[in-house]
Amino acid sequence: MRSLARIGAVAFLAGAGLGCVPKTLYPWGGYDDALYRHYKNPQDRDEFVAKLGGVIDEAEQTGGVVPPGCYAEYGWALYEEGRANDAVAYFAKEGKQWPESRPFMEKLIKNVARVRPAAPTAVPASSTGEEKK
Amino acid sequence: MKRILVLAAIAAACVRPTRPPKDYSKLVSANPRSILVVPVVNKTVEVNAADYFLSTVSVPLAERGYYVFPVNAVKRMLEDDGLSDAALVHGTDPTRLCALFGADAVLFVTIEQWTAKFVLLSTEVTVEFEYVLKDGHTGEELWKERQVGVYASDSGGGGLVGAIAAAIATKASPNYMPLARQANAQALGYPGPGLPAGPYRPDYRKDLPSPDVATPAPHQASAPTPTEASK
Repeated sequence: MRSLARIGAVAFLAGAGLGCVPKTLYPWGGYDDALYRHYKNPQDRDEFVAKLGGVIDEAEQTGGVVPPGCYAEYGWALYEEGRANDAVAYFAKEGKQWPESRPFMEKLIKNVARVRPAAPTAVPASSTGEEKK
Repeated sequence: MKRILVLAAIAAACVRPTRPPKDYSKLVSANPRSILVVPVVNKTVEVNAADYFLSTVSVPLAERGYYVFPVNAVKRMLEDDGLSDAALVHGTDPTRLCALFGADAVLFVTIEQWTAKFVLLSTEVTVEFEYVLKDGHTGEELWKERQVGVYASDSGGGGLVGAIAAAIATKASPNYMPLARQANAQALGYPGPGLPAGPYRPDYRKDLPSPDVATPAPHQASAPTPTEASK
């Protein structure tokens, strides 16, 4: 029984070290905080856009996976800024990184193209998902 | 045998023991890869609580290994489609919602209660959140959790002055993030009441109860309970 207790104690420590203390899958870089501030101070749009861009830069530069939704969120913010071409590029990146997002991203890309048909490079075909912002 | 004991002890270290076991069979067989989080319904007088809460859901949910749709883009697109009222969204057929975005499942969060009580030296906040996950293909409920919590601001150091300062700060400009994060962590954690690992976690399909636990057969010997293991 003594040895069982010891196994239990070791397992508890292992559990505390591995199972419970979370190591995150993604480098979130304050994504939730950016959203929170955006909802709290919607007028600070520049800060919101910059923070979302920062999440992506940080993840890409450290070799981490850009978290689910972040390319798309940034793309949407750019779209709201009137930067349709950049928006499309980031929607394409989201779709490339996360196959689950593709139907939604394709829809967004189509919508952007429909809303701004006059913009010369707003067509989805021009975005390979590779261009830099 | 040893391995079972170790696993049980690890589980015991993480699980809050008072939780009744949940039936995960529907969730496991639906096997969603992606989760759509729609705007939060707010039944309280804290007008901004819904948006604040929405901003805290993506991270813990995606960390469970699921693709989580961009909550703000989803919210804005629903608004553009005339669905700016969260209650209206929650009342919409989940299969229709999921079809709009190509999602496997949809998470509805409701803030049931958010009451702050300002007493002499501290602020006590009582919160109650409900989380319901529904299947995007059948509309069936896959998982549900309710979190009730009481949080007091007087737990930190700083003595009398610190306690008063904390209470005032909370009353003037309450910061919801720590509270919401804590509730999400408790609600979504697994083992626990939350969601088993999704496809982007290394323990995907490895952290599930074995089939004979999901549909209990009384004649079969089950793994020792955490209390037995620690005796």
